[in-house]
Amino acid sequence: MGVIQRVVKPRNSRSKRALEKREPKNIENTKQCLFFVGKKASEEMRRCLRDLYSLRKHHSLHLSRKHPDMAPCVDILPVERLGQKHDASLFCYVARTKKHQNNMVIGRMFNHHLLDLIEVDVSDFRSLAKFNNPKGAEGTKPCLTFAGPGWEDDAALRTLKSLLLDLFRGVEATAVRLQGFELALQFVAVDSKTVMMRGYSIHLKKSGLRTPRIELDLIGPCMTLHLQRSRLASDDLMKRACRQPKQVKANRVKNISKDVFGSRLGRIHMTSQDLGGLQTRKLKGLKKVEDGDGADGGGGGGGGGGEEEQMELE
Amino acid sequence: MADTDSSQRVQEILTQATEELKSIKVPNDDQLEYDLGNLLVSNNNTLDETLTRDPEKIDSYLHNLARDSIQALLNRVWELPSERIDSDIYATLPKPTTRLPREKPVPKPRPPTKWEKYAREKGINNRKKDKKVWDDVLKRWVPRFGYRKIAAEKEKNWVKEVPSNADPFEDQFAKAAEMKKENVAKNEFQRLRNIAKNKKIKVPSVGVTGNEYASKNELSMAMHHAKHATASRGKFQPELPNEKKVKGLGKKRKIEFTTGSGQVEKKRNIEVLEKMDKPSLNLDGAIHKEIRDENVAMDLKRKGGKVYGRRSKMGGRHRTKSDHKSLKLGTGFQGKGKGKGKGKGKPKGKPNVGAKKKIGGPKMQGKGRPAGKGKMKGKGKGK
Repeated sequence: MGVIQRVVKPRNSRSKRALEKREPKNIENTKQCLFFVGKKASEEMRRCLRDLYSLRKHHSLHLSRKHPDMAPCVDILPVERLGQKHDASLFCYVARTKKHQNNMVIGRMFNHHLLDLIEVDVSDFRSLAKFNNPKGAEGTKPCLTFAGPGWEDDAALRTLKSLLLDLFRGVEATAVRLQGFELALQFVAVDSKTVMMRGYSIHLKKSGLRTPRIELDLIGPCMTLHLQRSRLASDDLMKRACRQPKQVKANRVKNISKDVFGSRLGRIHMTSQDLGGLQTRKLKGLKKVEDGDGADGGGGGGGGGGEEEQMELE
Repeated sequence: MADTDSSQRVQEILTQATEELKSIKVPNDDQLEYDLGNLLVSNNNTLDETLTRDPEKIDSYLHNLARDSIQALLNRVWELPSERIDSDIYATLPKPTTRLPREKPVPKPRPPTKWEKYAREKGINNRKKDKKVWDDVLKRWVPRFGYRKIAAEKEKNWVKEVPSNADPFEDQFAKAAEMKKENVAKNEFQRLRNIAKNKKIKVPSVGVTGNEYASKNELSMAMHHAKHATASRGKFQPELPNEKKVKGLGKKRKIEFTTGSGQVEKKRNIEVLEKMDKPSLNLDGAIHKEIRDENVAMDLKRKGGKVYGRRSKMGGRHRTKSDHKSLKLGTGFQGKGKGKGKGKGKPKGKPNVGAKKKIGGPKMQGKGRPAGKGKMKGKGKGK
């Protein structure tokens, strides 16, 4: 609708810019992610949260306060409010519950209302700090790989794949520096309820060809996620959320081609014309003779009324 | 392309022959799904169960799996069209193929305003105006809007002509300022009217609209005023079951400090006292009253009855002659001195002559005994 359509106009350009940043746009901002802790989380889980936060450093907020009253699987409203406050549409929440010591909820929102969320139980966590190898710079776009047939078959896993993609893909890039590949994240669906995550650093080695040989080095974080509850979006909500504006869709230019000389050509499609019925200047010499001697028939032009004509465009 | 292909193959064979490890070839790489825009590669083949179940072997298995997938992905990326910028080679990524949901809904185009509709109808096109306008009076380029426009205008209009039909004592500058204010208000009104029209909210053409978003307090104030606008000042208006009274009505009371010097309080209290109708000092009356009480008490004690205090039985007439006499003479009287614990008939030397002074006086406070009373010590009948 635009900032100007507000009843109370922003007082200065700074507030106007802040409002414009938050309003819906054709080409959207990169999604912000909220990392926060619920009531009580073990040291390990807090470290896990920090590791995930560092993987997505540039478009995320790590909230330092504990949120003891939050339980996203039960009541999503406080999370929605938090998301609206920080203009974040992804969240990752860690807590300790009676049933699960290492509970984590990953979710996303559409228009500040819940779209989908998945609750996982984290086990076998190995932190980034545990691996001593050098890690890449923060904020690099990682290469993502998903292995296992479950990613396509299972509905919950399909949502999880989409969530993980949203979470870790970083900025939507148009160009990538070929020497800049530093991070690779692997998600393996061992079965329909278990996913293993591994993080590697990419080393480009000589291969004698233009394309380098890839060597991976395990740097973490490594964890096993066991799927618990999930709240998936209904089909029509997902459809609505995935709708793209017309301006972003690629415009196919039809009917324009270039000939050898570089001139732009187009095609005009005509109805069939009966050139025999054309009105022209009557020239006595070209009058039709009875004995059928006349070379040309009455009227002007020769050749059959073509269905198509190629015309040169300016 | 074909040339490089064959040469590549030759190279491959060579490198394979020399060192097997340096191969970039990934078997079955066409079975993988690529989304180069997201740098995503998906391997939908079933995993080797024996290796995934084995906690010792799983790490290396996953490592190899990842390596192959990433190699296949980056092979594809290296094939993309690339350009060189400042000694770095950048590959242009295509648009991502995986459809991810948006963050916010698609923005709706702004509906046209009343003027825009009219202009479209009439074919009026908006011509872009230059920021600077040549001003003949100031002989320079003056901004038409924005920074330093008003300063330039002030410079130009330092004097204003009073038109012939206008009141000579009218302030033309104030009038101009008023006109500008009205214009701004009119524009604002029209903007809001456009918004209301777009949101399908009805706005009356004349008059003021109510405040739709008034706070709870404002609404209850409005209710309060409406109620009190009756002939009986709201006394007989029926109330809703849970209706609460408005906060902030009624007289406000200033509460003073309890700390600090008590001068203000003292002053105020004295003022009050001075304003009061104080009864004239009846010393005799007071003395007699006291005597009476004492005598009564003494009597009762002698006779063994209850000592009541001020309010005694029989009107307090148990007074002996001697007591009267002794008081008139200024000697004390028998009985216990009502004082600071010295009572109970402990006779002391000379009787207290200053008894008279101590009775009554301005320090009489309420029902209590006058302050000086306590100093009377009795030595019975003694003289």
